[in-house]
Amino acid sequence: MMGPAPAGEQLCGAIGEPEVMEPALEGTGKEGKKTSSRKRTLAEPPAKGLLQPVKLSRAELYKEPTNEELNHLRETEILFHSSLLRLQVEELLKEVRLSEKKKDRIDAFLREVNQRVVRVPSVPETEEILQDKDGLNQRYFRKRALYLAHLAHHLAQDPLFGSVCFSYTNGCHLKPSLLLRPRGKDERLVTVRLHPCPPPDFFRPCRLLPTKNNVRSAWYRGQSPAGDGSPEPPTPHYNTWVLQDTALESHLQLLSTMLGSAQGLKDGVALLKVWLRQRELDKGQGGFTGFLVSMLVVFLVSTHKIHTTMSGYQVLRRVLQFLATTDLTVNGISLCLSSDPSLPALADFHQAFSVVFLDSSGRLNLCADVTASTYHQVQYEARLSMTLLDSRADDGFQLLLMTPKPMIRAFDHVLHLHPLSRLQAACHRLKLWPELQDNGGDYVSAALGPLTTLLEQGLGTRLKLLAHSRPPVPEWGISQDPPKHKDSGSLTLGLLLRPEGLTSVLELGPEADQPEAAKFRQFWGFRSELRRFQDGAIREAVVWEAASMSQKRLIPHQVVTHLLALHTDIPETCVHYVGGPLDALIQGLKQTSSTGEEALAVAVCCYDDLSRLLWGLEGLPLTVSAVQGAHPVLRYTEVFPPTPVRPASSFYEPLQERSSLLPRLDKPCPAYVEPMTVVCHLEGSGQWPQDAEAVQRVRAAFQLRLAELLTQQHGLQCRATATHTDVLKDGFVFRIRVAYQREPQILKEVQSPEGMISLRDTPASLHLERDTRQLPLLTSALHGLQQQHPAFSGVARLAKRWVRAQLLGEDFTDESLDLVAAALFLHPEPFTPPSSPQVGFLRFLYLVSTFDWKNNPLIVNLNNELTVEEQVEIRSGFLAARTQLPVMVIVTPQDRKHSVWTQDGPSAQILQQLVVLAAEALPMLEKQLMDPRGPGDIRTVFRPPLDIYDVLIRLSPRHIPRHRQAVDSPAASFCRGLLSQPGPSSLMPVLGYDPPQLYLMQLREAFGDLALFFYDQHGGEVIGVLWKPTSFQPQPFKASSTKGRMVMSRGGELVMVPNVEAILEDFAVLGEGLVQTVEARSERWTV
Amino acid sequence: MKVGPWRAGPERRAWSQGAGQTPRKRDRAGAEPQLPAAPALPGGKMVARRRKRAARDPEDCIPSPPGYAAIPIKFSEKQQASHYLYVRAHGVRQGTKSTWPQKRTLFVLNVPPYCTEESLSRLLSSCGLVQSVELQEKPDLAESPKESRSKFFHPKPVPGFQVAYVVFQKPSGVSAALALKGPLLVSTESHPVKSGIHKWISDYADSVPDPEALRVEVDTFMEAYDQKIAEEEAKAKEEEGVPDEEGWVKVTRRGRRPVLPRTEAASLRVLERERRKRARKELLNFYAWQHRESKMERKPRPAHPQAPRPWPQPWMRPLARAPDSGH
Repeated sequence: MMGPAPAGEQLCGAIGEPEVMEPALEGTGKEGKKTSSRKRTLAEPPAKGLLQPVKLSRAELYKEPTNEELNHLRETEILFHSSLLRLQVEELLKEVRLSEKKKDRIDAFLREVNQRVVRVPSVPETEEILQDKDGLNQRYFRKRALYLAHLAHHLAQDPLFGSVCFSYTNGCHLKPSLLLRPRGKDERLVTVRLHPCPPPDFFRPCRLLPTKNNVRSAWYRGQSPAGDGSPEPPTPHYNTWVLQDTALESHLQLLSTMLGSAQGLKDGVALLKVWLRQRELDKGQGGFTGFLVSMLVVFLVSTHKIHTTMSGYQVLRRVLQFLATTDLTVNGISLCLSSDPSLPALADFHQAFSVVFLDSSGRLNLCADVTASTYHQVQYEARLSMTLLDSRADDGFQLLLMTPKPMIRAFDHVLHLHPLSRLQAACHRLKLWPELQDNGGDYVSAALGPLTTLLEQGLGTRLKLLAHSRPPVPEWGISQDPPKHKDSGSLTLGLLLRPEGLTSVLELGPEADQPEAAKFRQFWGFRSELRRFQDGAIREAVVWEAASMSQKRLIPHQVVTHLLALHTDIPETCVHYVGGPLDALIQGLKQTSSTGEEALAVAVCCYDDLSRLLWGLEGLPLTVSAVQGAHPVLRYTEVFPPTPVRPASSFYEPLQERSSLLPRLDKPCPAYVEPMTVVCHLEGSGQWPQDAEAVQRVRAAFQLRLAELLTQQHGLQCRATATHTDVLKDGFVFRIRVAYQREPQILKEVQSPEGMISLRDTPASLHLERDTRQLPLLTSALHGLQQQHPAFSGVARLAKRWVRAQLLGEDFTDESLDLVAAALFLHPEPFTPPSSPQVGFLRFLYLVSTFDWKNNPLIVNLNNELTVEEQVEIRSGFLAARTQLPVMVIVTPQDRKHSVWTQDGPSAQILQQLVVLAAEALPMLEKQLMDPRGPGDIRTVFRPPLDIYDVLIRLSPRHIPRHRQAVDSPAASFCRGLLSQPGPSSLMPVLGYDPPQLYLMQLREAFGDLALFFYDQHGGEVIGVLWKPTSFQPQPFKASSTKGRMVMSRGGELVMVPNVEAILEDFAVLGEGLVQTVEARSERWTV
Repeated sequence: MKVGPWRAGPERRAWSQGAGQTPRKRDRAGAEPQLPAAPALPGGKMVARRRKRAARDPEDCIPSPPGYAAIPIKFSEKQQASHYLYVRAHGVRQGTKSTWPQKRTLFVLNVPPYCTEESLSRLLSSCGLVQSVELQEKPDLAESPKESRSKFFHPKPVPGFQVAYVVFQKPSGVSAALALKGPLLVSTESHPVKSGIHKWISDYADSVPDPEALRVEVDTFMEAYDQKIAEEEAKAKEEEGVPDEEGWVKVTRRGRRPVLPRTEAASLRVLERERRKRARKELLNFYAWQHRESKMERKPRPAHPQAPRPWPQPWMRPLARAPDSGH
């Protein structure tokens, strides 16, 4: 009798388990907030979802611990990191473990299946089907498939099953298995896989060794091997697949004897499966499956590295430790204890497979299908996880087991090979016929290894890790044809880049007369050139064309397409490289080749020159003690970097006596020039007055003097006001603010009637402190971050571009968004710091949409100044003061308590809106980027939803100075009065003149009580207006709140309601010339 | 800011300053205009008047709050809908003083943002000669600073809806204004008011500073300030070491012997030092009375051991009370 049915039945226990686990895991993933586990420990979660400490009564607090509790505590101490971790782990296991009730239902279904299978009529006997040499030429597999088809035919008619379909066993296309699901409500509960197996001793093991051939060339290719009598190529994978069927039962028995009795081991395996699943490592053919990891646990138990009394957490730790430190691609391991000389050597297996892990028979490689890159990825992840566990981070559990790492969010760049049929030609080009023969014609599997090796070699130092996703294993109905190789989606490769390797445009080869030179030339083809270097050496070298930072980031694209075309005949059109589609959103209109890092560097360079001038200025009564930048440009996070201004004088109204240009009525609005703020500290002196008003006057005198001196000594165009001096230098405009260290102090002084002077924070003092102390510190810290992580600028700017495109830019300060972006680099766990704007932006969306702002401060540990203890202190301080803190709390080493950058917003509603938008944008964008046919319109997620607004005010592009920065850049816009060459005019250009912003200021001042206004400062053509529902409640008359309201008689009573019609007309009046139309979109508000 | 009749032109400032010489010292609470919503209103006089008014002009169908008259106001003829100015005669309770002359002042609510002092003055000049117009953000709760504020150091805020106090030369102006039908037009052909792009461009031109004017202003201010400081110093020097009639000697920062500055931080430091010194010397719970007292201490005591003050003093912080817990 072939394939005893109970075998299939048992199988679902091990291999079927992931299927069963799936719904449960999804459940935890969704509520994957930090709160999910903690909340449950509270007796009664208080209102509004705020976490609060549990209050115990006195008696409860001082009760003697019970024996049980003591044991529990001791166990926690020994077996787990901390009690919090223990709670989290237990909670997770509860989620993924099958309940007894479900187990019973599954058992019942299995018994039914067993009966049905036994009763299938005319099941032929083993001897009738299997014959002696069936191991050869896929005969066994074909018979196995026929047998399964026979079973399927009968079982499909049975009303017990809701669906009966085929799938491949672990993606191996020679081995279909039958999937049975019950009918009715249990359909999603369980899937039973039927695996037919030959009797354990049917095949002679010695014929299935990795060195043997079981697929004859004559049969496979229809021709005999080359006549020179060369031996048939070994078919190790084919042999393994046969062996797997024979060993199935013994593997299961091994697992159940080793793991079945120890709860800790079972928990550990469950945790490991979750760990693998979150990293997408167990997917498809050749995945690092749960079965492999269970066998690994067995191995570690048998080598006494894991003890059966260990807890699940310890098992997880030990396995990760083992994976991180052992390279199975070099030193394979074996479960086999016997020293039988007839057994093949490990070296034989290394010859045939990339990863080696032998089972207890010593003949079967469990990791036969695992590629080297998959194993390296597992190793890399294990290493990252070990560092995370060792760092004792507060949220280690969350990051380790609850955060998904899909490929698009984990890797800097990805590339899709599509269509897959191209790989067939690649196999021929790479002369992979023996591999094809071994893999039964599966050209994807055959080509994968050589392909990744080729790219790894080519990308060299630019690459940290190369991973490939495997197409998921498809299912198909029993009346359909099985899917072909080319139908199985696309092959996606993920590249994790090394930022330091990205700056070089050169691949340096050997010297021309060395023997390796030929190899180099062969590898790089026509791109390899002989070059003479400065040290006199003549070497082979490849030089890539890349001038800007963004182009350099995309050199891997050039490398990949070149190598694939050269060595595998895969043309450029089939390589869909996803590395820079989002760059378009932060490119200036005219520089499509750069994402602005260079322009920012030019501005920063000019600032450095200016600060040198300030340092060396002669004639100031006090010398300059510090010059600090305080503008987004000076920390590389301005979305659209400034360009040198060269005004065309005919476009402006000159105001000669103040050497300034003014905008003209008859021209379109001139280009927007934002001065870059620079704070200039003067040395201390006792001469400063003690009175705030007088200090202001003295400061103004300094501003005037500064302007005078800069003009005199360096010929710079300057304009001084009471609070700042604007300086025009090389086309950039800087706004120098003189700061006096003690001024915030003076503003804080309050004198009591008794003459006692005390210090109180006042809005003015806080504001001044923020602008002259904290902002420069932040700017210099982020400037430093950019030097460490070149992708920071791109990520921060993309993030800001997106928030502003969603019309929410005015509610979030520039600094708060920069800090969120910085958090992605300083606290990247479980990822590594992003090396491309694309992946950084995706993680920004993920962070924004999942972070629990209500219960956690976002700690941004700039310069790593905060110790772990200090962070713990900050967290507890946060919980204690939560209600007094802003909705969004961002903590930095310089600002540990107050979260200054989020003090004035966003409001809870606006933050919620941002969270919702990010949660919608993320899957949409990821789907676009993962689409092998190309991402389509990448700007979709940047276009704001407009249907939520009550009124839309459309603006005339003529008066929008930054019109060209819009998400959908206009085909034509207006001339903004700039010359491409420096003109003769050296008058001060029009500064900070932005009609939409002036208009918004007026609107907010006049109607801020009644409505919210939303606008994209980067060239938005529309202002969204949202009426505030509370303001529309009829109110009794009050002299202090008549603004824009009218008195109406409602049911005999006089009430105040907003005068909507007049207000709508006011919108047009206030913005005369700028406003095109005012569209009132909802009638519900016209009272 | 105060503004005279809209025709006033360049003399405007000087003239309005002259008007500002009227007595301005007032009680804070009393300064608030009498709001009809306040329940403390002395009787049904106001209500009766409203009824009378309602009876007088039944065709006037614009609803207005009790005591107020509503005057429609629009930016220009082009607009369909109008805002409503709610106006009434400015009056305060008996016994309180007001900056604005009783009976001649019109109190205006809900002045739209595009309506400037000049235009309001022009619009109301049909009712009688206007002496001054002052626009404010809120009804006059606090005394507004009367000295002209520097345009360099206190730039004008962006206007929203405001309230206005319009002072007529004669009381008849107020009653005429209360009977106005409107709609008033802020911007007409003969007197256009700038808005939108026009306004922003002219605002920008105005904002380009004149460094000379700034310098002059700074110099004048600093001269005055230096003089004030010099005077204070001279006075302090004169008083240095000279006891007053009760025999107290005033100590200053500039004295021969430096003294601690009178700041909260300094006094806290001193108190802390004193406390430590005392704690070192003192034997705790040594005497029976000490024991008793410490027991008493542990019991909850009323928060304020002193007699309750008539009103809370905001500058008193708990720390300032530290010395009174001594033994």
